[in-house]
Amino acid sequence: MKSLKMMHQRACSVDDNTWFLANHADIGLIMATDGGSFSLGLPCVFSPKSRQYLAICAQDGRLRIWNTDIKTLHQEYVPSAHLSATCTCIAWGPCRKAKEAPQRKKRRSEAGHVEKQADLLALGTAAGSVIIYSTVKGALHCTLDGGHSGGVNCVQWHPEDCLLYSGSDDTHIVEWDLQTGKARCKWKADRASVTSLCVSPDGKLLLSAGQTIKMWDLETKEVYRKFTGHSTAVTTLRFATSRPPDSNGLYFLSGAAHDRLLSVWQVREDGKDKNSVVSFNLTDEPQHIDLFTSNSKEEAVRLAVVCKDGQLHLFEHFLNGPCKKPLSPSCTVQMSGVEDSPLPVPLLAAALTTDTHSLLLAYGNHLQPVMERVEVNTAERHVCLTRDVHTTLSLAMEMTVSKVKTPVVNAKSKVLVPGLSGHQAHVQGTLGSEKRKGTDAKEMSIAERLGEIDLSTEKGGVKGAPSLQTDNFAVLLVQGLESKDANILNKVFQTRKDIFIKKTVARLPLPAVLPLVEEITKRMQGHPYTAVLMVRWLKAVLMQHTSYLCSLPDLVFQLGVLYHMIESRVKMFHKLTKLHGKLYLLMTQVVTSDSGIKDVDHTAKLVYEEESSDEDEASGDEGLPDEDSDNWEEDEGMEVETMEDKAEEGMRTESKVNGDSDIEPGNESEEE
Amino acid sequence: MVEHADIRMVHRGGSKINFREPVFTNDSRFLLCAAGESVKVYSTSTEECIHDLQGHTDLVTGVVLNPLNHLQVYSCSADGTVRLWDFTDGILIKTFIIGYPIYSIYVSEKHGGVVFVVVPMANYKSSEQFQLVAVHLPRSGDQEVEARELSAVLCDVSPHPGAASFGREGEYIAAAKDLQLEVFFFKKQKSYRFSLKSGIKKGVKNAFTCVSCHPKEDCIATGHADGKIRLWRNFNQKKEYTYSTLHWHHGAVNTLCFTPEGTNLLSGGIESVLVHWRYKQENQKDFLPRLGAAITHIAVSPDGSLFCTSHSDNKITIIQSCVKVSAVIQGLVKGEGVWTNLIIDPRSKALVLNGKPGHLQFYSLHHDKQLYNLDIVQQEYIHEEGLDQFEVVKAAFDTHGDWLATVEERRKKGSELEVNLKLWAYDKLTQSFVLNTTVTAPHEDRITAMFFSPSPETTMLVTTSLDGHFKAWLLADHSDTKAEGAFWSCDFVGGYHLLKPGCCCFSADGSLLAVGFQEVVTVWSPASWELLTTLSQPPGAIRDLCFGRLSCSKYLLGTSTKNQLCCWNLLTCSLEWSTPMDVSLLQTDPLSENMAAFCNQSGSSDLFVFKPSEPRPLYSQKALCTGKVQHAVFAPRDQMLESCEERTQWLNRSQLYFVTQHMDLLTFSTKTEEDRLLASRKQLVVDDSVAVTPFYLLLGKHRMQQLEKQEVLPNPMAERTQLPQGSIAIKELLHTPAHVLPSASFLCAMFVRSLLISSSSAREEKEPEEEEMESEKEEEDSEGEADSRQGESAAWGPSKELGAPALTKAQERELRRVKTFDHSWLSSLLDC
Repeated sequence: MKSLKMMHQRACSVDDNTWFLANHADIGLIMATDGGSFSLGLPCVFSPKSRQYLAICAQDGRLRIWNTDIKTLHQEYVPSAHLSATCTCIAWGPCRKAKEAPQRKKRRSEAGHVEKQADLLALGTAAGSVIIYSTVKGALHCTLDGGHSGGVNCVQWHPEDCLLYSGSDDTHIVEWDLQTGKARCKWKADRASVTSLCVSPDGKLLLSAGQTIKMWDLETKEVYRKFTGHSTAVTTLRFATSRPPDSNGLYFLSGAAHDRLLSVWQVREDGKDKNSVVSFNLTDEPQHIDLFTSNSKEEAVRLAVVCKDGQLHLFEHFLNGPCKKPLSPSCTVQMSGVEDSPLPVPLLAAALTTDTHSLLLAYGNHLQPVMERVEVNTAERHVCLTRDVHTTLSLAMEMTVSKVKTPVVNAKSKVLVPGLSGHQAHVQGTLGSEKRKGTDAKEMSIAERLGEIDLSTEKGGVKGAPSLQTDNFAVLLVQGLESKDANILNKVFQTRKDIFIKKTVARLPLPAVLPLVEEITKRMQGHPYTAVLMVRWLKAVLMQHTSYLCSLPDLVFQLGVLYHMIESRVKMFHKLTKLHGKLYLLMTQVVTSDSGIKDVDHTAKLVYEEESSDEDEASGDEGLPDEDSDNWEEDEGMEVETMEDKAEEGMRTESKVNGDSDIEPGNESEEE
Repeated sequence: MVEHADIRMVHRGGSKINFREPVFTNDSRFLLCAAGESVKVYSTSTEECIHDLQGHTDLVTGVVLNPLNHLQVYSCSADGTVRLWDFTDGILIKTFIIGYPIYSIYVSEKHGGVVFVVVPMANYKSSEQFQLVAVHLPRSGDQEVEARELSAVLCDVSPHPGAASFGREGEYIAAAKDLQLEVFFFKKQKSYRFSLKSGIKKGVKNAFTCVSCHPKEDCIATGHADGKIRLWRNFNQKKEYTYSTLHWHHGAVNTLCFTPEGTNLLSGGIESVLVHWRYKQENQKDFLPRLGAAITHIAVSPDGSLFCTSHSDNKITIIQSCVKVSAVIQGLVKGEGVWTNLIIDPRSKALVLNGKPGHLQFYSLHHDKQLYNLDIVQQEYIHEEGLDQFEVVKAAFDTHGDWLATVEERRKKGSELEVNLKLWAYDKLTQSFVLNTTVTAPHEDRITAMFFSPSPETTMLVTTSLDGHFKAWLLADHSDTKAEGAFWSCDFVGGYHLLKPGCCCFSADGSLLAVGFQEVVTVWSPASWELLTTLSQPPGAIRDLCFGRLSCSKYLLGTSTKNQLCCWNLLTCSLEWSTPMDVSLLQTDPLSENMAAFCNQSGSSDLFVFKPSEPRPLYSQKALCTGKVQHAVFAPRDQMLESCEERTQWLNRSQLYFVTQHMDLLTFSTKTEEDRLLASRKQLVVDDSVAVTPFYLLLGKHRMQQLEKQEVLPNPMAERTQLPQGSIAIKELLHTPAHVLPSASFLCAMFVRSLLISSSSAREEKEPEEEEMESEKEEEDSEGEADSRQGESAAWGPSKELGAPALTKAQERELRRVKTFDHSWLSSLLDC
């Protein structure tokens, strides 16, 4: 048995290889013809209940099952004769039953029951056979052969028993007993080929569509009712209600090829049901239908119809008797791509969920559909969704076997490091809070407007400025700040001479101080080299204009960013200076020990003297060399301390920038 | 204890599937593995669980195929039983009661009817001493059999199942423990011990970790804690044994496995690289790197085509032909703990928590299956012990699932903490998360809590940190900068008397933010960032804060470390009520007023579900589980339950999930819900025999007959039946398109054999008659026979017929009747 299965698989793969080229060409053709209109009438079905899977038989004849949760290809199956006997229809079997677990003694916790997933798929082929495929095992389950002489048009599972119905071009319906894998019953249904079937939810009635729609009693296999009305082949049949006690409430709907209506028929007790009672307006032939059956009169039938033109129409209707006018959809959903001239993206299938607002959609190409659970505002009549559908299709799809998804990380994302504006707002104390959003925005806009006005008036002036007043940096700086001209500013900020900077800042008019500070802040966020240059300017500003800055009411907001930046930049300064001090200590000792070795000859003599000095020391006198070394050590200590001092002072100044005004410029310079 | 028969606690998230070595079935279509208290049968091609063999009442500790019947499997468990299963149908065949907890099981083809199990030494039941015993399984028809016939084989063995292995054809068994390898020869009934010198002085850890025996030669491979593999030979004597050493692994060798033909040796360890050594050419080795996590077990299918590796992150990888990973069976990743809380993704309704290192895992509660791991850190994880690497420690979704915030952190002892806050936007166009903003060092210390504001107007995130501040991050359009799109920036930094905030909570409409600063609860208005009020503090720091929902939105509940559960009324700003309870976790149901409090009492957790406005709890359950419950979440249901019973009403809208100390995911379920689930499943039995294909005609029947020949009818006459069948086969062969046929070399022998005409003339005479039979049989076939059993019986028919050379018409008819009769019961008898 094992080798048999293996052989089978192998044969499939051989089959694959030999026919790959032809296959490829085929698809190319289909693609080419596919361009304009979308529909290909390919079977595309969601699994029942939880809609975890989407089964699609694509253009290449392969069955693909997509996982709607992860949105990846779950499995792919190549029927043995997928090119000659293409798959024409798919139906998911009812969810499989788990074996009853033996009743055990009550325990604290036990394995939970989970809703079992759908397992079996029935595929009707053009060759007249029905294939049962197991998605759990990922293998062919069995083949039902010999029932039909023509291609199978539709397959339907019986909701309760192990029965399967198939309708075929040979005008017959076959009832398959799945327990034995044999045809249990076969009867002629119509003069024309049977194009659609539907089993009622209670499993007692069967609808078939050939030339006419017939309703069969499944026990006796006799025609129960006949309905006429469609002129073209009926493609879809669905029961819209489960049968209530009075059978006047049984409705079903039908859609036909080239027909832009979906008709609803009522099965009446008195048999006066010649015409359809309600019809739904569509934009094209219905392709995929999903509906929520209503169990009572009070409950509306919810219907989602995907048309051949790729649009989705949602209907909601209370089925109670005839309605003359065709009903138009309560909501229409369309999809488009993201190209410059957006092309519509065809919807392939749609499934309703218990939540009225969300839908499960499958769209794009049959070969690589995209599945999505969408929240649709059903109150709007027309919804258009924009989606980026992969335009490049690859035939040889790599099955992703790793269960890791990588989210997109592109250059567009912003990185906030400490010191950049937006990384930290000002620290708010316990009490006292200020509104600032409004003022902030206003000020910005005014400043911008002013800047723009200034720019327009001074455009000529800016150009002339260097020739006129090159010597006066202050004017240049003001002009640069007003016009936000990077060239001028660069030129000004290039200066390294402290005296120039000092004088320029001193001559700066007061209104230009704040823009200067802002500019300095911006530039300090850049490369450390430019920041070094800007520090001189900042120092000069703080030296000259602290009093002005202090007078500003919203100083905290204006200089908050600068403060945080300085704080984050010098966060490690303390530790670094400590490290520096230690290293310095170590290095100097290394150096001295080195030099000590070098000076061995010299010291030998000195040692002699030292010994005497030691003796001196012992006797109470202080020797010179000893004192030297002491001094030296003290120097070391001093060094470290000053370093730390510097650091501390640095910190202190920044904290003062925040609030207080008394800044010692001397310390500031040492920090740098 | 309060009994609630209607509410049950059920396990979710499966159990560890990497606990013991998985077993391939003979046809390598299925994989059997021990998972908690059951044995799971997975399909190797689709990763789906096909059967769940339930019956054990304690942890399953070993699974082995029955050497006498490859369609059956033995499983052993700590409940002291060995059970025999038919895994194709998922039926328990027999239970053997041993009476001692079993830690591992071994079988060998040579020792039919005997299983070797590791049980605790009888006299030292309490101590950690184990012995390997042989159990003779009694043959009896009963379902439950007591197997008390134990005979000790080896004493003082390791309970680890990888530490013992059967040698060539079951002649000896090798077991290793610590620094000693013991080989027991069954024929001589003698054992040899080889010990290694403990190299602890030299800093070498060469203790044995695993043992594997070569299937064809006398060679034992042992793995060691220092990463070495030793190949022992000539060990059937005390003195002159030899060993050679292979060294590639830098960590301990976790597992070793020879391929069925013994041509290759596979080894794996923490490096998560599968190393593939050529036997006898050990310098040639192949590697399969990047398997994701440390390898704990390796198994090889009997035909050697598939390997599978179990990994420490509760994953089984199936590897095809040594190079390609073909399937991954992934369970819920259970690390050392849940760093992030349990979160529900509003978009996919999946449960989200930290998974693999640096990843967030999305777990579908509906299907009880892991969906995927989302790579947050996006740095290569280095598989080595003792490295500190970035871990996802916090995550939060906003109300619509459009934004995901994650905090990753490198916990290093004695050095600066590295923290990154990442904000991911869900991009509908590409249907994936896109990184929007990265904030490095958002706080100077650890982030203790992170929540999005539920307010529909603003998109705001609040983080609290041990550095004494909480920060509000706001999505802001920077229209002044050229960069398009909106990015996140800090909007507000708040603090309270330099106290450390431990928790925060938004009210349901997002108009209030409560931040717990140690003993003080501060209530802020996120619109103006005004400190509205501070609430009086009971002794003990605030542990959890929760606003009431819906009709109870005026209440703020808090728990403190000093066993207090307090409820403040926000309208009066006063304490409404408080009770002394050691609440370890407080959780609100987003869809109702209900709150769940997990209390810690004498080592176990109790659950109380209550409404803040009502004095009586809706539901209480004492002694839920041992240890503290640290994480829980209410997951909204897809469909509301309509239970009217008072006790179960709180489960109508959402379901409560929680994680125990041992990383088990549990939930509560009602009887009605289970019934609903069970009722929705209809019986669907579909005969799963693949229909008659040309291959089937060629091979299936041929094989079946061969089996019959071997097992039942050693009658040489049976061979004759092949001829007419063969002629059909030839016909089929010639008429079948070439592309659906297997390779010619495969068919050749059979084809030629089927053409051979038997030498016996007597048989030749009978041939036309048989062909006639065959044509009749063909007719039957054409009637739509798709059943293998039918085929089997048909194959049976002629062989019987041959017993009686001369047949009358009546006899023929009788035979035909017999032929059509279903003989499947016979074949099932033969199988046993």
